[in-house]
Amino acid sequence: MDRQAQIEFLLDHYENPRNRGKIEDPDITMSWGNPGCGDVLTLYLKIDEAERIVDISFEGEGCTVSQASASILTEKLQGQPLAYAENLTPDDITNWVGREITFSRPRCALLALDTLKIALKEYRRPHPRPLFPSEGEGSKG
Amino acid sequence: MSYARPDVLVETSWVAEHLNDPSVRIVESDEDVLLYEQGHIPGAVKIDWFTELQHPSKRDFVTKEEFERLMSEKGISNDTVVVFYGDKHNWYAAYTFWLFRYFGHDDKKLKIMNGGRKKWLDEGRPLSKEVPSFPKTVYHAKDPDPAIRAFRDEVFASLNRSDRVLIDVRSPKEYTGELIHMPEYPQEGAQRGGHIPGAFNIPWAQAVNPDDSTFKPAEELRRLYESYGITPEKEIIAYCRIGERSSHTWFVLTYLLGYPKVKNYDGSWTEWGNLVNVPIKKGPEP
Repeated sequence: MDRQAQIEFLLDHYENPRNRGKIEDPDITMSWGNPGCGDVLTLYLKIDEAERIVDISFEGEGCTVSQASASILTEKLQGQPLAYAENLTPDDITNWVGREITFSRPRCALLALDTLKIALKEYRRPHPRPLFPSEGEGSKG
Repeated sequence: MSYARPDVLVETSWVAEHLNDPSVRIVESDEDVLLYEQGHIPGAVKIDWFTELQHPSKRDFVTKEEFERLMSEKGISNDTVVVFYGDKHNWYAAYTFWLFRYFGHDDKKLKIMNGGRKKWLDEGRPLSKEVPSFPKTVYHAKDPDPAIRAFRDEVFASLNRSDRVLIDVRSPKEYTGELIHMPEYPQEGAQRGGHIPGAFNIPWAQAVNPDDSTFKPAEELRRLYESYGITPEKEIIAYCRIGERSSHTWFVLTYLLGYPKVKNYDGSWTEWGNLVNVPIKKGPEP
């Protein structure tokens, strides 16, 4: 995607955010923010017994990049296994949001991922990761 | 009491009357890097701090030659009256103003639109998504002006000097050391939290009216800074995290209050908080 297309992609997510709002009875609610620049985000997640993200949404305020990244992240995570979310890296966000934008505003672009990681860490306290993956989630060998 | 240099501020109504004035170039500089694309003052060009004003490899600004090239591309000549505006109380607009001064643009031709983007929008004035282009100019920048930029050695030499004052313009929690930026982002983070010993914490946004982003009256500003013993005869160094918020305070002290010896330490906390073996103070006391 060239720079202009990337900008339009982000503006679309900012102006038409996906999964914005609070979900009913979330299993995880986590708020986080960037001191100094005023970006704030709250993530809501619902996790089923098979450790799959059955719903995810966000609320927040802040710059275009921080809010668009949250919209992109929640769109990518709908229906995914929790392990997929736990293994996401800043590189994944860079690939989705765009390298140049991430480079110029790293804290804004990664706020959603950061909030997610903290949320999942909190979730893991009473829900430790299984020692052995359940059927269908492990290696195919 | 009026501002020391009232001519550096223009009102939104003045800008509205000069949208098609060829001697004026309106420049939007935002903290939010994609705000200009969502609509800007008709005829305004964007100057992007992250892609256009930073040196591509080392931590510094563009060179004089690169600045000249940028001015040419934006259609700005040495005679152009440049009016800056932006989001968040003109935070980045002041930063860009500071850099134009650093490269010697005549400060009688530099202005900030009082109230910035917020006031323009609140007044229901028009926005455009059309990106204008202007004929290229020939621009001659001056050598960088060391009188408005402080480096770390000078800051270090300022410790315990009664004739120099350090102002930390970050939020109180950054000042006390309660918050530092997260270690996952080394390009903007710091190893340690706190502030430079002796620095007063005067958050930059105390200089503006939060409702309309305009600057506070001169008398109020003078009272604010003088309450910390920050008076015109002193040498003043302002800093924040990377030097953007402190350029706003530099602007207020230099142009609105007329303090003659004010520098911006753009290395700021992301340099000081990473330096080895420099003193750091934690907590609310200077």
